[in-house]
Amino acid sequence: MPLDNLRGLYQQVILERYKKPHNFGRVDPVHRHQRGHNPSCGDTIDLTLQLDPSQERIVDIKFEGAGCAIALASADLMADAVRGRTIPEALQLVERFQAMMRGGEEFPREQRALNAMKGVAQFPVRIKCANLAWHALKYALESPEPQADGSAFVSNENTD
Amino acid sequence: MAVSPLSSFKLDHSFDLAAQVRSDFPILQRQINGHPLIYFDNAATSQKPLAVLQAMDHYYRHCNANVHRGVHTLSNEATDAYEGAREKIARFVNAPSPQEIIYTRNASEAINLVAYSWGLSHLERGDEIVLSVMEHHSNLIPWQWVAQRTGAHLKFIQITPEGELDLEHYRSLLNDRTRLVAVTQVSNMLGSINPVQEMTELAHRYGAKVLLDACQSVPHMPVDVQALNCDWLAFSGHKMCGPTGIGVLYGRRELLRAMPPFLGGGEMIADVYWDHATYADIPHKFEAGTPAIAQAVGLGAAVDYLSQIGLEQVHAHEQRLIARLLDGIQRIAGITVYGPKDPARRAGLVSFSVEAVHPHDLSTLLDEQGIAIRAGHHCTQPLHRYLRVQSTARASVYLYNTLAEVDCFLDVLAEAVEFFSAALS
Ligand SMILES: Cc1ncc(COP(=O)(O)O)c(C=O)c1O
Repeated sequence: MPLDNLRGLYQQVILERYKKPHNFGRVDPVHRHQRGHNPSCGDTIDLTLQLDPSQERIVDIKFEGAGCAIALASADLMADAVRGRTIPEALQLVERFQAMMRGGEEFPREQRALNAMKGVAQFPVRIKCANLAWHALKYALESPEPQADGSAFVSNENTD
Repeated sequence: MAVSPLSSFKLDHSFDLAAQVRSDFPILQRQINGHPLIYFDNAATSQKPLAVLQAMDHYYRHCNANVHRGVHTLSNEATDAYEGAREKIARFVNAPSPQEIIYTRNASEAINLVAYSWGLSHLERGDEIVLSVMEHHSNLIPWQWVAQRTGAHLKFIQITPEGELDLEHYRSLLNDRTRLVAVTQVSNMLGSINPVQEMTELAHRYGAKVLLDACQSVPHMPVDVQALNCDWLAFSGHKMCGPTGIGVLYGRRELLRAMPPFLGGGEMIADVYWDHATYADIPHKFEAGTPAIAQAVGLGAAVDYLSQIGLEQVHAHEQRLIARLLDGIQRIAGITVYGPKDPARRAGLVSFSVEAVHPHDLSTLLDEQGIAIRAGHHCTQPLHRYLRVQSTARASVYLYNTLAEVDCFLDVLAEAVEFFSAALS
């Protein structure tokens, strides 16, 4: 059928995660909270994180928000990938994901679920959809003051 | 590739406008992802006919010089071309005088000009500015600033469940404190056509001024500023076959004369001293610095092009397309259409959402088949919030689109919806 070449973009995993995300919601208690958006389309992601007592490791992470299949599936896969990771490890994953969106390498075995997103790199206008949650995560982890209210949005556009 | 002679254009339903004009638009030859381009994003910007491209090319090759600044031949020719375009635009919207046509970068700048110049100098605490809930951000943000700086209040006309401006509600908002009504003539999201002539008359009864955002009307239907009797009218060249970088503010002469300048610099002055200056008469008072000369020339050519075809003709053609599109789209399960359901009450655009399918995803699927539509909030975030929809998809047509393209769009849309429903069920 004519839409066949879109199957590379809309992998079954992406459609499934879009339909039934595993990590939708808010963590309790909230240690880090960050909202990200793409102002030109209005998509938003509301990320909440729970950290261990030493504030070094992500114990839990969930997201809420409204967006396209690419944006929401990416957020859902991201949450699985960074849960249990230290903050520096998670930041490395962010880097690596953004690099993959620019055409860089796939993830190795342990995080290979994220490779479902690789097809997005072929659709330049959709890369910002895939990066939205990751961009918000980077802000959440890098902000020097532990933020719990997270009322401000960070824009994922015009940044890279 | 000349425009067909005037005589061949008569309102005749057997005659297909698109068939006559398509070859005037070189970009329509393009293939996108292996399919002929179907350009349905005309509300964002239109394509340009060869006549416009050639007018700009000719200007740069043969007449390029700065305007109003030299006595040499080229400067004189450039000035004539620049001012000649102003006269064409004045005739196009039936402005009494070309002096009432001010060149800006786009409609947004035209509205900002009125907000900064007139708004900040004429409005005070407690004054009221009436807008509608369907305004584009360009006709909202400047008034938010004016309100914040002057203490004036913003009031918003609601819409009916059909998606049309609620005239009763509008009437109830008008009072002696109303100083300005700033509304769009055609909604770029709902497609509804607002009764701006009647609205202007009502506003004037209270002594309020009226600014019309004509971005989605001037390119598509006859607009006569004297018949509408508005005080200002703003539109963009790029949505009406002209180039980007040029827009227009029409303003009533006495009003423009009484308004302070907006930007300062060369061209807009009469006499300049170290510590003060006097200003040029309109329109030049509002055109500081070297203007977008080639773009003005291009817009003049666009106006010639559209005038030869006739805006009644363009409007009638778009209505035929949109009637078919509206009818077809409502047959696809899971689609919600925004705005009036009666095609006769609409301009040539339709915004819609598909259950469980995000407009981005839909747009990518359509693009794969060469179809360009808009996905997002179309610079009307508050309206989307008001309608409780996060974002929508929008198809918008123009004179060169065909019924065959509408049918192809409907087929691909149905298929795209099917693709997602199957995957998500
Ligand atoms: C109704 C309306 N108003 C204002 C604008 C702003 O036009 P521009 O971006 O050319 O200034 C647009 C176009 O996007 C519009 O559709």
